[in-house]
Amino acid sequence: MDNEKIVRKEHVKNLIFQIAPIVGLLLLFGLFMAFAVIKDINIPYSMKNIINQSVIVVVVATGAIFIYTLGSFDISLGANMCVSALIGAMAYNRTGSLAVMIGTCILTAVLIALVCSVLASVFNLPVFVTTIAMLSLLNAAVLMLIGANGTGDIIQVPAEAVSAINTVWFKLIIMLVYLGICIFVFNFLKLGRQEKFAGGNPECARLTGLNNSKLAIIAFIMAGIGVGLGAFLTITYAPTLSRNTASSVGMDVIISIVFGGMPVSGGARSKIYSAVVGALSMTLLSQIMLMLNLNSGISQMVKAIIFILVVFISMSDGRKSILPR
Amino acid sequence: MKSFKKVLVLLLSLLMVVSMFGCSKEGGESGQKTDGIDDSKNVKIGVLVADATGAEALAFRSYYENYIQKQYNVTFMYSDELSDAAAEASAIDNFIANNCKAIISFASADRPAQIRKCAENKVYYAVATGTLSDDEYKEFKDNEYYVGAIGPDLYTEFMAGYNMAKHYLDQGFTKFAVFGGATPYYVDMHIYRTAGILVAMCEAGGGDYNGAKDMGQMIGAIYGMNCQLAPAKIGNVELVSYIGGYDFDDAWFGKLAEAANNPETEVLLAVGSGLDTFAAFKRPEQKLGTVDSYTADAVKAMEAGTLDYLAGKFSASIGPIFMATLSAVQGKPIRTANGEALALSQGYWVATSADQAKEFYSVDSSTTDPAYTRPMLDKYFGAAYDDFAAFVGAYSYEEIQNLKK
Repeated sequence: MDNEKIVRKEHVKNLIFQIAPIVGLLLLFGLFMAFAVIKDINIPYSMKNIINQSVIVVVVATGAIFIYTLGSFDISLGANMCVSALIGAMAYNRTGSLAVMIGTCILTAVLIALVCSVLASVFNLPVFVTTIAMLSLLNAAVLMLIGANGTGDIIQVPAEAVSAINTVWFKLIIMLVYLGICIFVFNFLKLGRQEKFAGGNPECARLTGLNNSKLAIIAFIMAGIGVGLGAFLTITYAPTLSRNTASSVGMDVIISIVFGGMPVSGGARSKIYSAVVGALSMTLLSQIMLMLNLNSGISQMVKAIIFILVVFISMSDGRKSILPR
Repeated sequence: MKSFKKVLVLLLSLLMVVSMFGCSKEGGESGQKTDGIDDSKNVKIGVLVADATGAEALAFRSYYENYIQKQYNVTFMYSDELSDAAAEASAIDNFIANNCKAIISFASADRPAQIRKCAENKVYYAVATGTLSDDEYKEFKDNEYYVGAIGPDLYTEFMAGYNMAKHYLDQGFTKFAVFGGATPYYVDMHIYRTAGILVAMCEAGGGDYNGAKDMGQMIGAIYGMNCQLAPAKIGNVELVSYIGGYDFDDAWFGKLAEAANNPETEVLLAVGSGLDTFAAFKRPEQKLGTVDSYTADAVKAMEAGTLDYLAGKFSASIGPIFMATLSAVQGKPIRTANGEALALSQGYWVATSADQAKEFYSVDSSTTDPAYTRPMLDKYFGAAYDDFAAFVGAYSYEEIQNLKK
């Protein structure tokens, strides 16, 4: 009887932790709407704006969930995206084809991700260590690409070339298709379960016969596709690229994933929808602070405090209690 | 009781007279002072910034928030620090969503994209402390939502560097170390200042730098070197060291220290951020000149003898572009006779002594009586182009003080 009570209590607790990010998102949306009405904000434009600002982070973070599920992380995502976007833009300028541009963006991002994960496998290093090295390499590559292109400190795709696809619907379709694929792989294929298992206990997974290196490589490929799509969407939104392009994406991805309720340690509690919930929550929070005209220092502090709170709460749901089943 | 009534009547009469006087004064001035400025409705103006924490950026912000916002019924919404074109586009979207009627931009990753986005959404757009390139101006000058640009044009930037170098060359100094700021990042403003320094050296030394002697040749030479300059002898004078970029790593600080510690170097010149770069390494016998802004630190440095030449933007220099923007928002745009957008140049205040710097700074940092006050700006609400251009053109400290009288 006592055991039953404990199990029920744990189930309730788990349920609360699972729905907390979604409740948080709904609360933020409610707050946003309330302030929007009070402050007489252009609501249709704001909605479009929220989608525009979230979509790239959602796409990149959704792919990155595969890496985070393994209990690892990649700090070179932003730099990868920048390199992919630059090469994609150069490919467009050579061929004039959007298909070539999107293909190049994805191919470049996947190749970079593959190099990263294969290096980790070959040298048997923790994946995040190779991403640190990769970050330096990619930053150098950005400078070389811009220098080699010979167009000053920018690489530009003509604005009119991408204006037709710089629409909310186009971005939503790309996001939903990629999200659908990731949800399917993560929730309905054995690969997703294996990733969660390996993330929760890599040693146990290895002894069970799972190939952790193979799982890491697949995770990086999935993330690479997201980064490539993110690079393409970045060009679509702002076709002037510089060495600072996507410089904040890496951090935005980490914050979004944590905001969305993803456990920092990965494993069985990993959720593919964390990226969507987190990115939207973060954008809504930024919009609310903008409506209140808080200066960027205060808004950064608010975000930092909320970030720490979210991590603290998610950690308090730790493994000291029973494992989720 | 009677005396109380008398006092009351007297007081009320006095109040009425004062009120009438006040009204007549306001009315009299309002012909010039407000002349149609609608202070009844709050106007939201978005401000795009590429630098949110630099001393110059903070001084500009202080002028808008602590003076202009208190004087006019306007609200400034500031962006975060914008590092690329996507961040700029995103910030503009934020401003549009928040019903900003105009955007004043200090960010330049992709100005054409900024203007297009604003125009598509019927939001006025103005460039503060900068200019558009000739091609960009040609593209947007007829766009009714492009208010214009007020700031140092590229020739003014060139002359800022030229005059700074000449100041020391005229004193007989011949060995220079130069910090080229954002020149390696192809930032025109810094390229032109650097070119100005080199041309002054060519003139004084009787030589050339990579075959270039005048402004056009020098700009070509700098671009020809992919904006990566190198030390060189220029006739009788010498560019002993050259450092560019803002790496802020140990190697970069090492290069700055090495340049300052070179016993040959007599003068350290910075096209920007001289106090953040050379000042820490400068030897007492060396001279330091910079193009920067008037801050408390700069004044202290001049008093201490660390800095002895400062060409600085003054924070209220962004007053006229605010007035042009407000005029446009309230239906009285200031355009050329052909209906084109503003493209007006504004230069620097140059201080060569601590007293001068102190005097400039006290005006520049004032939030009650800055260089451009409301009464001065109000005269140019919806003004004729020529009057407005003359007002902007009279930017020197002395000219502005005369305008105040």
